[in-house]
Amino acid sequence: MADATGMGGVVSDADEKAARRRAKRLKRFDSPWMNPKLLTGAGIIVGILLFGLLGRFLWDPELVFIGSAPLNLPPVGFENLRGEPGSPAHPLGTQSSGRDMLALMIVGAPNTLFIGVIASLIGMTIGILLGFSAGFIGGRTDDVIRVLSDVMITIPPLMVLIVFQTSIGEIGILMMGVLLSGFMWQSPTRLIRAQVLSMRQSGYVRMAKLSGASTFDIMFKEMLPNLVPYLFGSFIAIATTAIVTAVGLETLGLGPQRVPTLGRVIYEAIDSAALLRNMWWWWGIPTALLATMFVGLLLVNLGLDEVANPKLRKV
Amino acid sequence: MAPRTRRVAWGLAAIITLAGLIAIPYHDPESPGARIAREDTVIFDLDRSIKNPRNFNWLTPGVKRLHGAHQAMWEPLFVLSYATGELEPWLGLQIVGNDTHDVWTLSLRRGVRWSDGEAFDADDVVFTADMVRDSDAISAREAIRFKAQIAETRKIDSHTVEFRLQKPNPSFHVENFGVLNFSSFLVMPEHVWRGQDVGSFDFYPPIGTGPYVFGSATSQRAIWDRNDDWWGADTGFRDLPQPKRLIWIESGGQENRAQLLRRNQLDAGQHLALGIFEAIQAKNPNVIAWHSGFPYGWTDPCPRQLEINTTVPPWDDAEMRRAVAHIVDRQQIIDIVYEGSTVPSKSMFVQYGAMQPFIDAVSNAGYSLPTTANVDAAHAIFESRGYRLDDDGTYRRDGEPLAVRILANTASAETTGTVDLLVEQLQRAGVDARSVPVEDGVFWGEVIPLGDYEMSYSWLSCGSVNEPWASMSRYTNSAIAPVGERAPGYNNTGRWDTDATSQYTAIVDRIGRLSLGDPQIPGLVANAYQHLYTEMPFVPLVQASKVLSFNTTYWTGWPTADRFYVHPMHWWNSTHLIIHGLERADAGKSSHVK
Repeated sequence: MADATGMGGVVSDADEKAARRRAKRLKRFDSPWMNPKLLTGAGIIVGILLFGLLGRFLWDPELVFIGSAPLNLPPVGFENLRGEPGSPAHPLGTQSSGRDMLALMIVGAPNTLFIGVIASLIGMTIGILLGFSAGFIGGRTDDVIRVLSDVMITIPPLMVLIVFQTSIGEIGILMMGVLLSGFMWQSPTRLIRAQVLSMRQSGYVRMAKLSGASTFDIMFKEMLPNLVPYLFGSFIAIATTAIVTAVGLETLGLGPQRVPTLGRVIYEAIDSAALLRNMWWWWGIPTALLATMFVGLLLVNLGLDEVANPKLRKV
Repeated sequence: MAPRTRRVAWGLAAIITLAGLIAIPYHDPESPGARIAREDTVIFDLDRSIKNPRNFNWLTPGVKRLHGAHQAMWEPLFVLSYATGELEPWLGLQIVGNDTHDVWTLSLRRGVRWSDGEAFDADDVVFTADMVRDSDAISAREAIRFKAQIAETRKIDSHTVEFRLQKPNPSFHVENFGVLNFSSFLVMPEHVWRGQDVGSFDFYPPIGTGPYVFGSATSQRAIWDRNDDWWGADTGFRDLPQPKRLIWIESGGQENRAQLLRRNQLDAGQHLALGIFEAIQAKNPNVIAWHSGFPYGWTDPCPRQLEINTTVPPWDDAEMRRAVAHIVDRQQIIDIVYEGSTVPSKSMFVQYGAMQPFIDAVSNAGYSLPTTANVDAAHAIFESRGYRLDDDGTYRRDGEPLAVRILANTASAETTGTVDLLVEQLQRAGVDARSVPVEDGVFWGEVIPLGDYEMSYSWLSCGSVNEPWASMSRYTNSAIAPVGERAPGYNNTGRWDTDATSQYTAIVDRIGRLSLGDPQIPGLVANAYQHLYTEMPFVPLVQASKVLSFNTTYWTGWPTADRFYVHPMHWWNSTHLIIHGLERADAGKSSHVK
């Protein structure tokens, strides 16, 4: 009995420890931030970023420039229309100006993401400031901001950006992001305003008002932290919209010209009749990379939705 | 009828009425009437839009001729045969100069009629010549050139005209009336133009003497229908051409053009990159080019060059312009833009056989540019001018980068591709170069003639094909306009005007007074060229290989190297010869589209 009790005591301790470890692990994975969609999406985006960052050290980024490689080579294992085989020196092939496709992807993919991030950062910052001001301060401030964002949201960004870019000529990556941000603040402004309007009546906000906290403190120290998952979700959605708009402009031949982006690569492929020339690698690889990027951003967005909205989580 | 049904019926009636009211103003009274079969229609490619489709005043700026007007409706007096070097008579029968080349007598063909039935005669020629001479509103290159030469035009009889020139010109007839390059001096109907203001008259609807009459036009398309009452068939000059309808359409970019050719929706295409042409031919063997194999293309009579505005610092310094010439790797342009299908330019001239003595004179005098770059020489010049290479790889002076903006006409992928490559070469050499895409109408209508550019890529030395004067005279200082005013005839748009220009002008004027074939000319060309070489108002780049596609599915008889009856530039005034040479093909037998 003593042995048995003693053994039983040992087993019970071990079980408890194991159960605690399992509970801790489960608790860790139970965190809404660790949902599979968010993790997978983030993994894809980080993967693309790493591809761009590490690729610059493992591959020659100078190969993105005109005349740095032979023309029209297919990827390794394929032949082009003239029967020329691919070369290991250019594993993803080259295009008709003598640019290396792998180098174009290594440099172009992060540039495309960067445009989206810049546009989204600026758009969200403006959206947060205006949305909080409209929702919390109300009155005339709310009227002006609401009308302004309602009017702006009806203006098609692509059309305005085409006119703008045609008139100012070539622009860089940063400028492209800044330009796009002019059309990315309206939606977060409206949505944040709606959230703030509902939060304004919350107990903790009333308490903060009663305790004499300043408007700025209430908006940005009390209310803002409660909107963090939601803001992250909006950030990703806007970045996606900005990338789609940027790719649209680039595919029309506007946007940065000497600096490669995925949209620019696709434009050059279209302009040089890559489809007709069976140069599938020229348009197919950047299109696939863009699709992967959008899937990653979508998953991140869905994952953040689950964080912000407990009803979406699986039981 | 139930109230709801009645409401729906009234609603539908209102919508139909409204739609009808809206549609009435948009009815195009000139839309082509009779349907003409595809087999009887030739579709030509237009590489730019028609800015003002209801204006046919070719003397003023804009797309007024190459959408069919001077290929189908307005006929030339003569056509210079690039194959024989002879002038082929058309509306004119003969033109001869006196011994001093300052009086020329033109004999006109009898029996020529305008499409409205009026006779074409010496009165039309004299009227047009006087109108051009006396007007300051004209800007077309062919009119400006004529105006600069003519002193007086006199009617001898109803079919003979005498031209008295301001100074002797042995090439007067070829330059002005022979479609030397793109177009020629086009005679307008006196009975329509008399009393009109040259600058504002739109000449709509237009008439001509050609075998086609104007049908309709929009900004992307122009239609011309055959005039079965054409004078040429009645007089026995030529048979009526076989096509019943000619259409010019703006095809858009290379991709669209390629797809239209592949699907037999285009019969004559503008330039395509060599690789694209090969891809089309692999899918549609009915599509042909000038040569049946590599390099496929026809050598365009206008060699490509980098134009430099010599009034804009730091490019107003001849040494800085020479530095740019050192940076340019012309072999790379050939390898990448032309896929190896052309050669570097040895001078400003097109490298045709008749030009060889003049090109040799320039080369033997040491004025040809090397094919590859010498970036070190360029760096030495930059540094001698106080520029220092910064950490970012750009030359700077007093903190300001050495920068340049190069204009690229967006109408052509060849242009944008070359400018992108030039930008790359300059960037790598430490010049902060940028490409500025400019729409075709703005490029030729504003920025180039007004001198509103630093550098641009074009072909403004174009002119000579069998003698040197036509090209060389474009850089003299005889008519330099200040920046902001229109350069007459697109001549010397870079405003090169130094002591060297004066010396150059004196020699070129002397060349202009000598007869074609005078043995002094090559030596004089070399003497004049030393000033171009030293001062570099433009940088000669490459000869241009034009891969122009013709589709034999519906029409055969296109000009090729094996059938050289005319050159293949189907947007030129000489296209009349192509149209008359076309024969209807059996579409069913020859169609193998994949």
